Amino acid sequence: METLRVDNVHKMYGNIEAVKGIGFSVKEGEIFGLIGPNGAGKTTALRMISTLITITSGSITVCGYDVATQGDEVRKSISYLPEDAGAYKDLTGRTYLRFIAGFFTDNEETDKMCQRGIDIANLGDRIDSKVNTYSKGMMRRLLIARAIMTAPRFAIMDEVTSGLDVMNAHDIRELIRDIARSGVTILLSSHNMFEVESLCDRVAMINKGEIIMQGTPAELKARYNAKNLEEVFIKGVKSVEQST
Amino acid sequence: MNNLLNLVKKELRELMTIESAISIVVVMILFVGLGFMISDQNEQAMEPVRMGIINYDDQGPSTYYDTVNSTLDGMYDSATRDQYLIKLDSPAILSDGEIISLMQDNGLSNLLVIDPNFSENIDSGTQGKIKAYYITENSGAFGGIDSDSVQGFVSAINGAVSTKLMENELSVDSAESAFLKSPVSFNMPDNYTYINGKLYSDITPSAISGAMMSQTLMVPIIIMIVIMVVGSIVISSMGTEKENKTLETLLTLPVKRTTIVSGKILASGIMGLVYGAAYMVGMYAYMDAITASAGAVNLADYGLVLEPIDWAITMLVMFASILCALGLCMILGAFVKNYKSAQTMTLPISVLAMIPMFVFMFTSWNTLPAAMQAIMFIIPFSHPMMVMQNLMFGDYLLVFAGLIYCIAFAVVTVLVTVKLYNSDILLVGFGQTRLGRMLAKFKKAD
Repeated sequence: METLRVDNVHKMYGNIEAVKGIGFSVKEGEIFGLIGPNGAGKTTALRMISTLITITSGSITVCGYDVATQGDEVRKSISYLPEDAGAYKDLTGRTYLRFIAGFFTDNEETDKMCQRGIDIANLGDRIDSKVNTYSKGMMRRLLIARAIMTAPRFAIMDEVTSGLDVMNAHDIRELIRDIARSGVTILLSSHNMFEVESLCDRVAMINKGEIIMQGTPAELKARYNAKNLEEVFIKGVKSVEQST
Repeated sequence: MNNLLNLVKKELRELMTIESAISIVVVMILFVGLGFMISDQNEQAMEPVRMGIINYDDQGPSTYYDTVNSTLDGMYDSATRDQYLIKLDSPAILSDGEIISLMQDNGLSNLLVIDPNFSENIDSGTQGKIKAYYITENSGAFGGIDSDSVQGFVSAINGAVSTKLMENELSVDSAESAFLKSPVSFNMPDNYTYINGKLYSDITPSAISGAMMSQTLMVPIIIMIVIMVVGSIVISSMGTEKENKTLETLLTLPVKRTTIVSGKILASGIMGLVYGAAYMVGMYAYMDAITASAGAVNLADYGLVLEPIDWAITMLVMFASILCALGLCMILGAFVKNYKSAQTMTLPISVLAMIPMFVFMFTSWNTLPAAMQAIMFIIPFSHPMMVMQNLMFGDYLLVFAGLIYCIAFAVVTVLVTVKLYNSDILLVGFGQTRLGRMLAKFKKAD
């Protein structure tokens, strides 16, 4: 069963076409990677999927709901973690999680959801410190906890380990694996090819607003006769540049 | 509703910081302090002037020594005269420096010196000389009151000496000389003023206007401050949301955009009301101090008073006006990129608040030309600035028209804000829209 279906989607910013008829699908329980160079249209695609910006043409379906016409239903099913996202700095980690939980549940359920978030974040006593005292790694853990504690059917993560040190990035990747094992479908974008290769079941590469390849990491490596996904990425981008 | 409550609580938690609480308390203290200070100054101003006098005219044969003395004595209550009118004896003529020292030694701020040749000069047909010395320390609004009184004393002496002179020179009695000096009778009770359907004697429009001015002068300033503060709060909040990228998270939560907009506006509106109420309390103390002072015109005696219902209407108009400011700020906030750019976005709101402030500080609705009245009516911040005066004078039509206009204005701005929240502008900015790109091209070509 498909959790996400993107069909021939275009996005225009004035006269500029940022996304040119992309199409891909993500199966339930899958970790799907969206890769591509800077300005390729990854964030625009993720923003359209998460109902943040409108679609110029084409269609996106999330968990059976149409993004353009059933935005409220889509938002109940997803959790979006933007690149470099932050939290309200004057709140503590706990009050932030409780604030978010309040949109999904009532009373006792809010406490349970909040506790789940606290467990996922695993920040110890610092969960009661103000967010503006958190390190980047702590902030990322809190935000992932925020995104996952609501038990979404579909999690969308943009550059989830961007700017983190090796240890923190490793911890976050382990956390994503655990989340996927619990049955959450994940769509993530990343510049870290090692991360994509180690986490994703399938990958799509976007360049200049178009999907130029998609498949499992193994299929793509075989197709481009490459040792790793980074090589696939470089060869893929160069082949597009040569053809244009 | 839970979502709205959740949002309002979060917004208030962010807005109700220690800093904002301190600023509210400080403003209250400032106003209350200002009220007490003015009250104290008023009371001081209403006390009889403590004045010294050195009359050198008694050093030789004097025609007018008793006239001067009795005139000054008549200016004071006989029971307390010795406390306020200090007669100093000096056998020798003192220099200016010696006079100042004498005043300081006796704790005097005002002193009149009657020239040794005062009577002699007048008898010979030239003017007798009086000098006044002042020591001033208070340069506030009431700093000139004492010197004005001294001028009045000299004027009284002048009148008394003139009467005496007429009696001596024209051989008329005192009644005739008084008539000759003032053949027209016009005293304070002879002034009649029609206010709100009732005729009052003993008061002039000038006195009413002066009292009104002193009581309502601060209102436009307070409204302007409140609007600028709440406007800055909401625009900065939008800037911070964008800068911290919390807005993207908020917009992907299962909550309607209308609820998000309403949550922000309501929370900021409550903060605005807290600021407004704090300013009102301070202003009430300030007004009370002014009106309680003896001798000041008490507008309540002339039916010019706000009843509790009028205060409720005033608060309602103020709240509606604050909602208008918040609606406008939410629209402007949609275009800010970060906290820094948010600061400059408050400028249009500040200007819109400052225009009616300057207009209503010095004029009133009725004195404005029609075109200016139209402009003032369109600016929603004008209405709370003039509401108190309009209520005092019973102009309810203008008050309620203004209230309805403010509510309609606020609703329209909220709808526009929701529309913006549902568009791409909020996240991609104005520059990424068709119009934004066209303007950018035009700018480049230029």
